[in-house]
Amino acid sequence: MSQIGPGSPARSPERLLLMEDIVKSFSGVRVLDSVRFELLAGEVHVLAGENGAGKSTLIKILSGAYSDYQGTIRLGERTVNFRSPQEALANGISVIYQEISLVGPMSVADNIFLGRETVRAAGWLAPKVQQQEARRLLEELGLEVDVTRPVEEYPVSVQQMVEIVKALSYDSQIIVMDEPTSSLTEPEVERLFAIIGVLKQRGCGIIYISHKMEEIYRIADRITVLRDGRYVGTRAAAELPQAELIRWMVGREISQQFPRRDFSGGPVILKVEHLTVPGGKGAAHPLVDDVSFEVRAGEILGLAGLQGSGNSDLLNGLFGTFGATVRGSVSLEGRPFEVRSPAHSIDRSLALLTNDRKANGMVPQMSISHNLTLASLEKFSALGWIESAKEIQAGRNRMESLRIKAASLFQEVGTLSGGNQQKVILGKWLETGPRVLFLDEPTRGVDVAVKHEIYELMNQWTAAGCAILLITSEMPELLAMADRILVMYRGRVSAELDRRQATQEKILQAAMGETSVRQT
Amino acid sequence: MNGQISPGPENSKLARLFRSPTVRALLSLLVVVLLGLVFNAEGAFFKWGTHRDMLRQVSVFGILACGMTLVIITSGIDLSVGSVLGLTAVLFSLFSIHLGWWPWLTVVACFAAGAACGAASGALIARFNIQPFIATLAMMVFARGLAKFVSGGQKISTAVMQPDGTYQYVEVPRIFDLLNARILGENLTVVTLIMLVCVAGCYLVLAKLRWGRYFYAVGGNEEAARLSGVPVAAVKVLAYGLSGFFCALAGICQAAQELQGDPEAGMAYELTAIAIVVIGGTSLRGGRGTIWLTLLGTMTIGYLEKILSINAVGEASRLMLTGMIIIVAVLFQKRES
Amino acid sequence: MKKLAGLPALAVLSALSVAALGCSSKEKASQQEEGPRWTIGMSQCNLGEPWRVQMNADIRKAAEAHPELRVVFKDAQNDNLRQRSHVEEYVRTGVDLIIISPKEAAPLTQPVADAYGRGIPVIVLDRRVLGDRYTCFIGADNKRIGRAAGRWIAERLGGSGRVVELKGLMTSTPGQDRHSGFVGGIRGSQVEVIFEADMKWLEPNARQEMESALARFEDIDLVYAHNDPGAHGAYLAAKAAGREQEIIFVGIDGLPQEGQIYVKQGLLEASFEYPTGGKEAVETALEILSGQEVPREITLSSRVFTTANVEQGGEWLEQ
Repeated sequence: MSQIGPGSPARSPERLLLMEDIVKSFSGVRVLDSVRFELLAGEVHVLAGENGAGKSTLIKILSGAYSDYQGTIRLGERTVNFRSPQEALANGISVIYQEISLVGPMSVADNIFLGRETVRAAGWLAPKVQQQEARRLLEELGLEVDVTRPVEEYPVSVQQMVEIVKALSYDSQIIVMDEPTSSLTEPEVERLFAIIGVLKQRGCGIIYISHKMEEIYRIADRITVLRDGRYVGTRAAAELPQAELIRWMVGREISQQFPRRDFSGGPVILKVEHLTVPGGKGAAHPLVDDVSFEVRAGEILGLAGLQGSGNSDLLNGLFGTFGATVRGSVSLEGRPFEVRSPAHSIDRSLALLTNDRKANGMVPQMSISHNLTLASLEKFSALGWIESAKEIQAGRNRMESLRIKAASLFQEVGTLSGGNQQKVILGKWLETGPRVLFLDEPTRGVDVAVKHEIYELMNQWTAAGCAILLITSEMPELLAMADRILVMYRGRVSAELDRRQATQEKILQAAMGETSVRQT
Repeated sequence: MNGQISPGPENSKLARLFRSPTVRALLSLLVVVLLGLVFNAEGAFFKWGTHRDMLRQVSVFGILACGMTLVIITSGIDLSVGSVLGLTAVLFSLFSIHLGWWPWLTVVACFAAGAACGAASGALIARFNIQPFIATLAMMVFARGLAKFVSGGQKISTAVMQPDGTYQYVEVPRIFDLLNARILGENLTVVTLIMLVCVAGCYLVLAKLRWGRYFYAVGGNEEAARLSGVPVAAVKVLAYGLSGFFCALAGICQAAQELQGDPEAGMAYELTAIAIVVIGGTSLRGGRGTIWLTLLGTMTIGYLEKILSINAVGEASRLMLTGMIIIVAVLFQKRES
Repeated sequence: MKKLAGLPALAVLSALSVAALGCSSKEKASQQEEGPRWTIGMSQCNLGEPWRVQMNADIRKAAEAHPELRVVFKDAQNDNLRQRSHVEEYVRTGVDLIIISPKEAAPLTQPVADAYGRGIPVIVLDRRVLGDRYTCFIGADNKRIGRAAGRWIAERLGGSGRVVELKGLMTSTPGQDRHSGFVGGIRGSQVEVIFEADMKWLEPNARQEMESALARFEDIDLVYAHNDPGAHGAYLAAKAAGREQEIIFVGIDGLPQEGQIYVKQGLLEASFEYPTGGKEAVETALEILSGQEVPREITLSSRVFTTANVEQGGEWLEQ
């Protein structure tokens, strides 16, 4: 990682991009108001702000997805107004979105050159040439990948690299990364940062969007903050302390990033013995391999592990996502519990907040109200007939207690910001009255203020006697919130750490397979 | 969107109104009705009878579209509706005319047959993960074959073949006249009434019943619904089963209006039913839509056919005009993203 | 578990197919016992229409009287290419004679000519093929029937009246011929066609078109439909409007279970027979197989069934 002095980028102070007085409205609602953003060659410029602050909108304007806005965009000395993403791309602006936008069944090489395939004179494709070029580009970033295999066979991290290579193959000067690390493991993040270093040296400017403080301070040269669609300010990262940054983002002081937690022990509520979740066809080892543990009422048990460690599969397996394929014995509140199906688990007061709210957390077309009651609808519909008044009352209470920000209870969930979507899903599970909550990345893609609210809610629920199994890829969050931490590696528990013993280093060691740290 | 942002001046009420799918569906209907006012065929369009007959003509399609709406909301499609209509029309005529069964028993038997066809498609889709398009395509072919098998390829009419090969004419059972009649001072046909009852029934299912809510959840995000404890497989079987039930109802109405069961009845009706749902504005992607939109779509198609018919427009022009109107209506419905 | 779940379905399916196939082979077996001398291959273009079902039934009935004949039936389901392969299959399996009611002339001319060239006699029924590479054509003349209907209608209306014409598919030859024949038949009279519409041979469509005609015209004397279901649909529309007494309904086809019954019931006043030629085809086939000369073209004569004569079996139209 190149160390770059605070304030100004070390080399080439050439200005790549200047956006000034950008105003954008959606059907009359102003979502961006006089926003300014500047990008120099060779810098990583972090664009920060809560969800709904207007970061995505700004990026979409820059990348040509929205062409009706007010204000000026200058690339170098030229004033531009892109009518389409293709036009922006042709002008050297590439965006790597949170969601991978590759064509899964197509090969790596074909994906990189999609839309401008190398062709011979007669119009025939030239796959060999294309593959060679793809291999060369990947090697420049230190990646060795079989470029003829379908891209969907690779982990998300590699897919992301492919996206970056695709951007580079356009000779892009400006590369936008929208939360690129949200689905990466620690070593993968390191690799990404190394690549960013390479890109900086080439003189590219990188616009980086992230919610992770740690990450922001590691790579940012400068930080620009947006709040509620307005420009708050730009400052060199070294001159903007974390507390100040948070104040800029939320507009108020958050004294402490994590609330205090007290756990003094309670009765065992969930006991798991020799749990095994079989892997798919041809898998080398089970997803979860002979895992035993217990959780007490009021306790938060953290499940650490890198991607593919099986921690997420453990929660899904227990919850019945994979059906009755799970082996082992489980007892819940002293009674034996048979893993059957999600419906059965919900009946027995389990709840699972999955780590991908778009794929399997919410029904985006349904209203807040309908999402909130989806898992507990029987409560509101004796004999099958929904009692609307009761449902709406419950929805209003939940919206208030979780501080969900929306125009009304009947707004479609798909139109909410990420943090509010997450709150709706949490609300859905609370409505079922769970005794054990499985939370898989509850703060992923959620802004700072909402994160804090979620931490406080977790404390409230445990205080009320709930047990929580928590997975989070943010180490500080895990260390602050979990009372005990199980570290998993290849489907097995490689360490169990008490709150006081746990450190970032120990967790990482165990997560990378060093069993010597096992402690009890 | 954030609560602190105040609406700008251009967010007029009109613009917001125009975004509502109901208003857009009404607009399509309005355009077609305006066509009728202009091309009124020497005043024929202004007669009440024309509108009543339009409603009668389109009722069978409307009933099919009710079931189709349910299925499409679950993010599926039912291509078998026309064939199942043909099958139940044959069964209804066979049981009531030729075998002389007690009429209401016949009706129940037809409902059971229709619902069984639908539920079978649903089970294939839910249990064996066959794509709805394929499963219902298979059912479409199978049900048509069954209809031909049961009827021996002949229309089941009031002409009954005697053992000596001659034909004997029998009276139609009273239930045919009952269904083919008009009520409320001759102002509403019974089949139209049945369609309206179907629409109202679907409204109750979709808006008031837990299972209706599950249709939307499964169509919107099947995996999220499953993880929320929604019995996804049962929901699908129910949706297709209900579609089959509506097919049976439509088949009975068709037979009652023709006074016979034609094994070829309902050919290509599935396309009209899908067109109705889509013109109404229900997205084929599932998770969205209401039955009122389908009712508006039914009226739009009905008026379109009626206007073309009273003006005696030739077949070729009819097809072209219908295609164009469908595109215009769907363009109306397209949301700007 | 998932794999096994398919087994019962498979078992049911195989049981069903065995049953279905078993039925048909049994049929064949019973026919074989009688020791037929000749096998006739019959290729029907589409069994979706009752009239064609009737044609097959007529052939079957006529053949049953001759134990020396065995007839194999194939249904092309309205598909030219499928019918083509049926003809080729007959040639390959070596039938003694082919009867074909082709879907369309052009695509089936070649396969028919090929069969004929290999020395297999071919009887072309109802619709024509191009050229002269076939043994015999048997068919009725739609134009003539249309003309007869026109004349009958002009006479019935006393030389003048307002008529609604519900046409079959105007892109089909029978539809065109029944129309042009009719126009020729009423020429010279004061009969006026006030409304004409395509009803695609379908009863529900005929009903809809008739409703439109009723809405537009207060005064309609007669409905001429290109087939009996069309006339019946029109009758139902008029009945619903309470105007069935003032209108005369005339159809074409005159099938025993359709048009003839409608006439007997008094719904239609006349139905003009469009003979299937099934019986004539079998008779001609026998003549060919026993080595007799047959004419190249046989035009079938047809009957008209009216309220007055239907009980007596109709009346032959003059040639």
